[in-house]
Amino acid sequence: MKLLAKTNRYYIFFSVITYLIIAGTFYLVVQYVIYRDIEKRLQVERKDFETYVAKTGSWDTSCYFIEDKIDLTQVRDTLKKLPLFEDTELPNRYTGEPVRYREIKFYTTLHNAFYLVRIRKSLIESDELLTFITATMLVFLSAALLLLFWFQKSISQTIWKPFYQTLAAVKTFDLKKDETLALNRSEIFEFRELNEVFLKMSDKMRRDYRNLKEFTENASHEIQTPLALINARVEELIQEEDLSKKQVYWIQEIHKSSIRLSKLNQALLLLSKIENEQFHETKIINLGNMVKSKIAEYDDIIEHRHLKIIIKEKQEYYISMNPDLADILISNLVGNAIKHNQPAGLIKISVYQNRLEILNTGKLLSTEPGELFNRFKKDKSSAGSLGLGLAIVREISAYYKLGITYQNKGKLHRFTLSQSNKKIPDETKILLSA
Amino acid sequence: MKILVVEDEKGLAESIVSHLSKEKFLCEVVYTLEDAVEKINLYSFDCAIIDLNLPDGEGFSVVEALRKISTATGIIIISARNALDDKIKGLEIGSDDYLTKPFHLSELMARVKSLLRRRNFGGNDEIIFNEIKINFKSRQVFVNDQETLLAKKEYDLLLYFISNINVALTKAAIAEHLWGDNADNFDSFDMVYSHIKNLRRKLLEKGSQDYLISIYGIGYKFGNK
Repeated sequence: MKLLAKTNRYYIFFSVITYLIIAGTFYLVVQYVIYRDIEKRLQVERKDFETYVAKTGSWDTSCYFIEDKIDLTQVRDTLKKLPLFEDTELPNRYTGEPVRYREIKFYTTLHNAFYLVRIRKSLIESDELLTFITATMLVFLSAALLLLFWFQKSISQTIWKPFYQTLAAVKTFDLKKDETLALNRSEIFEFRELNEVFLKMSDKMRRDYRNLKEFTENASHEIQTPLALINARVEELIQEEDLSKKQVYWIQEIHKSSIRLSKLNQALLLLSKIENEQFHETKIINLGNMVKSKIAEYDDIIEHRHLKIIIKEKQEYYISMNPDLADILISNLVGNAIKHNQPAGLIKISVYQNRLEILNTGKLLSTEPGELFNRFKKDKSSAGSLGLGLAIVREISAYYKLGITYQNKGKLHRFTLSQSNKKIPDETKILLSA
Repeated sequence: MKILVVEDEKGLAESIVSHLSKEKFLCEVVYTLEDAVEKINLYSFDCAIIDLNLPDGEGFSVVEALRKISTATGIIIISARNALDDKIKGLEIGSDDYLTKPFHLSELMARVKSLLRRRNFGGNDEIIFNEIKINFKSRQVFVNDQETLLAKKEYDLLLYFISNINVALTKAAIAEHLWGDNADNFDSFDMVYSHIKNLRRKLLEKGSQDYLISIYGIGYKFGNK
């Protein structure tokens, strides 16, 4: 839920409650005031009545004929307790509609008989008054609340604006771009502090990132020189005439490991360079042609392993990318298809307008297909490989927002490189049956 | 033949010099950019091997300085940097070759010799080793003046061996020479073996001596037994 929606929700909740409480209280207060007024007047009339009775000793109903204002009923028992005031309803004399009255009740003695006296006053005007006052009050209160609501909403928007600006700036912040966070200066102390914290943090992140990047690069470069030295020394050592079998074995191991280490180092360096987006130059590349030239490069090994290559270029696949990376990408994919193939196996490469499929025969996969593109994930049987080839493929694909997927069916393996967001039809079955 | 080696890693410089000296190359070693510039101003060299990362600057400036003084000197850059940008820049400012560290000394030797052959334009187009004669312009190989037809890789292999006479070469070095970075992708040692087998057969057929010696656990050597 958004911050403003949340504050609005709270505001509405509390204003509705306030509204109800105020309306109720107001209604009760007005009603109380009106009743008090009517009751006072009823008391006065009682006094008038009692004075009249005391003076004349009798009561003439005709004196007060309007609206049954004074009503005398003969009673026997005057001990029964009576409420002083009471609401009652009587039908209107002409229309018969019920009309509300407030009445005062008391006993009196006339001609030695006991009477219950009820003096009434109509509540019609008072009720109307009450309704109008309350209604007017409610209208104004609602208007005030709406106004306040609008007011607080626009205030919130203004107040939180720097916060949203900061949020937007932080969202677009890219560590790799090496740009300072662009934050506006806010008048509000807390937001200013927040911005300062963000600035400090992002600067630290950028510095750390740069250091790490530089360190990785420098370390990788620096490692190559001692490795070159080891290799050179090994080469000198093997020139010795009378090496024992054991010595040869050790030298072999040293040589192998140092070459491996150097390849590993180069591959990691390449990965970090791709991640750091250090390949800027791009060219339009025909991937189909690139595949063909790669296959030509691998001519020797293809012949040596008696692999059958089928290239189907249904359309031309042009892509804009760095030529170096394109070369590495295709090299790794084609190399992968050759390396993990079986003798006299098959490689089928299909090129579409924006899709490249490389299908090859090979051994059953011993790792999880999902982990294939992870670093240092490799088939158990290929101990000699670095386990970085496909990680590099994935990194390059991600860099150019290309989709790379792997599908397999038993001993058939297929890698598909495609422009992202395109669904890849499953043609493995068709191929299998063909 | 005089060769200048500019390499700040003393051990590596020493190895390069000792390897090149076997072929009667006269080597001068310097460890800094400053010394390198001084040397090239004082003497003339047939070839210079220049490292890019020097303690007092980039090797590129040595290349530039050397090119200004002499166009005849062959220049090979050796560097830990494997970026295409560096390679292109190196070639643009006048170097002839670029070798990424770590490299095999035998590979460096082959490159130096190939460079000297190319540089030495007016001279001989032929390399002669006993009864084997290679015309590196027409890429023809003769044994006892009889031509033997070699496949491309076999020819490359022979040239590599001839550039490293009597030097033990590892299978890895041979594979890398033939296939570059692709070498480590495959069972390249098998392929090295089959190419060597074919080369040997073709040379022997034309009556050459058997110069190819297999060294147990290491690789091969070309030369007199």
